[in-house]
Amino acid sequence: MAPPDPTTEAEEMPAPANGRSPVSRFTRSGTDAEKLLRRAEWVTVAASLLWIAQAAAASFVLANLVSGSPEIRTAINGSMAFVLVGILRAALSHAAGAAALQASQITIGRERKLLLEREALRAPLAGGGKSSAEIATLASDKLAMTVPYLTRYRPAMMRARVVPLAIVLAALPFSWVAALILLITGPVIPMFMALVGMAAKEASERQMEEIGSINGLLLERIRALTDLRLLDAAGRTIDDFCGAADRLHRKTMRVLAVAFLSSTVLEFFSAVGVALMAVYVGFSLIGQIGFGAWSSPLGVGEGIFLLLLAPDFYQPLRDLAAAWHEKANATAVAAELEAAEKLVTEPVVGTGNRRPKLDGPASIRSHGLRRDLGDGRALTLPDFLLSAGQSLAIVGPSGSGKSTLLALLAGLVAPSSGELTVAGRRLDDATADGWRARLAFVPQSPHFSHASLRTNLRRFAPYAGDDALRAALEAASATRIEARLPQGFDTRLGETGHGVSGGEARRLTIARVLASDADVILADEPTADLDVDTARAVTDALMALKAEGRSLIVATHDLELAARMDSRIDLGSPR
Amino acid sequence: MSALVTIARRLFSEEWWPLLRGTLLSVAVLAAGIALLGLSGWFITAAGLAGLAGAGLVFEVFRPSAGVRFLALGRTAARYGERMLTHDATLRSLARLRISLLEALSRRPFARIAGLRAGEQLNRIIRDVDMLDGLVLRLIIPFAAASIALIGMLTALWILVDLKLALWVFAGFGSGSIAGLAIVIFRARKPARRKFAFENAFRTRTIDLIAPRGEWLVAGQVREKLDQALDAERRLQDATTEADRADRLSGFVMAVSETLVSGGALVMGAWLVVGGQVNPAIAAIGFFSTLALAEILGPLRRGLSELGSMSDAARRVVRLLDAPGKTEEGQAPPVAGRGGPNILSFDAVSFAYPDSRQPVVENATFDLKPGEVVALTGPSGAGKSSLLQLAARMYLPDSGTIRFFGAPIDTWPEEELRRRIAFLPQRSALLAGTVREALRIADPDLDDAAVWNLLATVCLDETIDARGGLDLRLGEAGSGLSGGESRRLALARTLARRPKLLLLDEPTEGLDRETARKVLAGIRRQMPDDGVILLASHREAEREFADRCHHVAAPASV
Repeated sequence: MAPPDPTTEAEEMPAPANGRSPVSRFTRSGTDAEKLLRRAEWVTVAASLLWIAQAAAASFVLANLVSGSPEIRTAINGSMAFVLVGILRAALSHAAGAAALQASQITIGRERKLLLEREALRAPLAGGGKSSAEIATLASDKLAMTVPYLTRYRPAMMRARVVPLAIVLAALPFSWVAALILLITGPVIPMFMALVGMAAKEASERQMEEIGSINGLLLERIRALTDLRLLDAAGRTIDDFCGAADRLHRKTMRVLAVAFLSSTVLEFFSAVGVALMAVYVGFSLIGQIGFGAWSSPLGVGEGIFLLLLAPDFYQPLRDLAAAWHEKANATAVAAELEAAEKLVTEPVVGTGNRRPKLDGPASIRSHGLRRDLGDGRALTLPDFLLSAGQSLAIVGPSGSGKSTLLALLAGLVAPSSGELTVAGRRLDDATADGWRARLAFVPQSPHFSHASLRTNLRRFAPYAGDDALRAALEAASATRIEARLPQGFDTRLGETGHGVSGGEARRLTIARVLASDADVILADEPTADLDVDTARAVTDALMALKAEGRSLIVATHDLELAARMDSRIDLGSPR
Repeated sequence: MSALVTIARRLFSEEWWPLLRGTLLSVAVLAAGIALLGLSGWFITAAGLAGLAGAGLVFEVFRPSAGVRFLALGRTAARYGERMLTHDATLRSLARLRISLLEALSRRPFARIAGLRAGEQLNRIIRDVDMLDGLVLRLIIPFAAASIALIGMLTALWILVDLKLALWVFAGFGSGSIAGLAIVIFRARKPARRKFAFENAFRTRTIDLIAPRGEWLVAGQVREKLDQALDAERRLQDATTEADRADRLSGFVMAVSETLVSGGALVMGAWLVVGGQVNPAIAAIGFFSTLALAEILGPLRRGLSELGSMSDAARRVVRLLDAPGKTEEGQAPPVAGRGGPNILSFDAVSFAYPDSRQPVVENATFDLKPGEVVALTGPSGAGKSSLLQLAARMYLPDSGTIRFFGAPIDTWPEEELRRRIAFLPQRSALLAGTVREALRIADPDLDDAAVWNLLATVCLDETIDARGGLDLRLGEAGSGLSGGESRRLALARTLARRPKLLLLDEPTEGLDRETARKVLAGIRRQMPDDGVILLASHREAEREFADRCHHVAAPASV
């Protein structure tokens, strides 16, 4: 199945209108997931209602036993009905659970896909937006927190709306007092719950931060362990941590005390309700209460039926209370998703798809290029023309826009005004992908995938063999890195290049470009972190690429490197 | 599984008394629930019998109805007490587990601490500890309470009703729950494990997609990377669905067995009544008490569905707790009259990192005399940082000898050594807190004047003053300062140690020339006259600052 085009799907899902709860994004009407969830909700309602039939069957059997002429056949028939309805009830719960889970998985799958598609094509260097770690947490952990909202809270809410009312209606034909007991004690519960819940909510908001922070404190200290040990401060830090953990513990327990109190209140009232019902029924049966029942006195079977119904009148309310915080969690996640959508994010030029290379000589011409930097400043770039195979240095102090110009040239951000002509065509959504197919890129801060050295070196040269990679390492003065790593090309590198130093990482990113057949090389500070000798060797390697006829554009502080380029743009300070 | 036992023993040994009381209260909750249903059933049926027999007015209603009220309210109170006790004890012992973890990690050799930096691995440690709260709350206590309550219920049924009924409940409920729990243990375990693995894969791939997206775009691979991340997500969903299916299947089996037990109790009760062995009210006790069975198993099933992930988490946590102690630490007491002409001397030292095939230092020999400032120079990758790490005893050499004040460096006790050597590594970490606290970590006795003095040394006093002084609060990992400012604060922290030997790895990286000179001059002022500074350097200003340079050549390539 081909993945649907993200843009059309995004249009089908407009942001919720103002005034709607953000959590409604997880249950948009008309979607398959929402239909499945509806079905699951009604099936759990049906399963709960089947208890009325089971209660009737059981009270029928017990009434027969009390009647003075008990018959084993009646007991067997009644019990059979009880068991069969019970099995049907279990099966319905089973089916409802499956449907609810499926609905939740469709929903979070859709949200994850939308989120990742948008973020993957968000223009780098454009500013705004969340960090990759924040996106990962949002996509995996936080979105997973909406599953219990859909699978537990929603069905519980539906049951709480329908089942108590249905049970009152089932009790009413036998005794109006019994129905009244339920009707009166029922609404009292939400009232008290709301009171306790308000206290709990305030407390738990504080607690959310605290719980987060005990792990935060631990993480921070583990990360700093090397420093702490060098400072001989590990012991002191652990003592501090003990103190902090103890304070957090006391706060957490205060919150839990309130939270548990709310479920205790609920349990208390349902216990009172059931006890009232038992007492009413008991006194009616022995004839001490003569009112309330339509047929006077109340029959034994009717009494047992009412008693069996009473706990299940309160059960949906208890289920809902137990799932109550799931809605709060899901609402927080929905709000965060909405906020992420509202952040000013700008997509890259083009679609990001792999396209055939744009043909023609790789010349670059800029005309009236300007880019707003977002903080009121704007970067005005000089017009220039770079013929294929030429080299260009972009110099200027930090913050003058060197990286931004490189990003503009790669179509990673769009200019605010002016235009770029690449290989004879205007650089826009139609041409950007084909243009990028001709580029290779040395980023300012190296990032390695959690994959083998080989895979990482092949980033711009997917089909390069080990010999070609070795030659590229050689040219980047990086052969020793491969020789040193325990499994050579098969060694897995971490996120930030596990096992390689800053200078080594830099040389690996150069080797990556050297292995590619790109004919335009963009390099952001390729000689930063390198000593003079290595910097010279890397410069030589880049010049060798130029000698092969490739264009070379470097943003750099390194005057020696800049001096070897054919031409130079000095960005000075932002204009 | 043995790791789970280890962790369980740890959690229990520290808080056994509150946990025991919690378990007893939990038994009380279950027992009261069973008794409440049984008693109400008996009460109603007996009242009905009395009413039909016309003996309603002599039927004793006071005690049963008081019993119903007592059980209903007592159960509620017991539940509250049980929750508070067990949560309090569990959270407390988990906090202690976190502390032990931090202690165990801090005892690791430096080489293994460095391996902990990667974000994902750390997050996993945190999640593992969080996972373990279910061990006591959702597994051990419900299991113990369910077993005791069930035995009590069966005994009561035997005495009050009939042995055959007790046996039926035991057989039906026992086989049903064993089947249900077996399904959870055997069928949910694998998918739960896969779920955990794909969750991690999804996170890692998401970070790998988003962080370098500019590179993926240029490489034309952004779609492939997106598909890889979404593929992990799809597998995560499959594993989730499968785990959930096993969980629900077990719930179904248990629900069916509970229904069968209740239905059977109804028939057996009728049979006993028809046979004249018991009266209908006693028969009702059997049926009604079986209705409470669902409450016993529900929590336990939830705990068991986490068993797989919990035992994996326990294994990883135990492995971290059992990590070997410091290998660098010396046992010998400091020898009086240590000395000699050199503060530090390297004699034919060779060293390769544990995960490396090639030596990074080969045959290094040099001496540092009191009062000297020496710069290590040489190309990147020649091993300058490694020499500093060896001098700071973060690693021990593979061959050759390093002497500190004349004694082999590996004979120094940790505390004695750290008091004399301070090291600013290339990357250093700050903690959240005020600027004052950041420096007092190095020396708790620093007063404000000393703190300002140190800040002035690294040219940070004006910046800090302008932004609120020593109470300026830094965020997590010292955020709120720029990269260069954090670096200088870390430098000030190192200087606060007032060491005999100061090791600095590129101390002025990222500073402009003028500031670099000022900072270096300040460093010299802070050091005692006979103090020694060894720095790794590739900057002109740093080389000029040194009394002499020691050139480091890379070991010959293989």
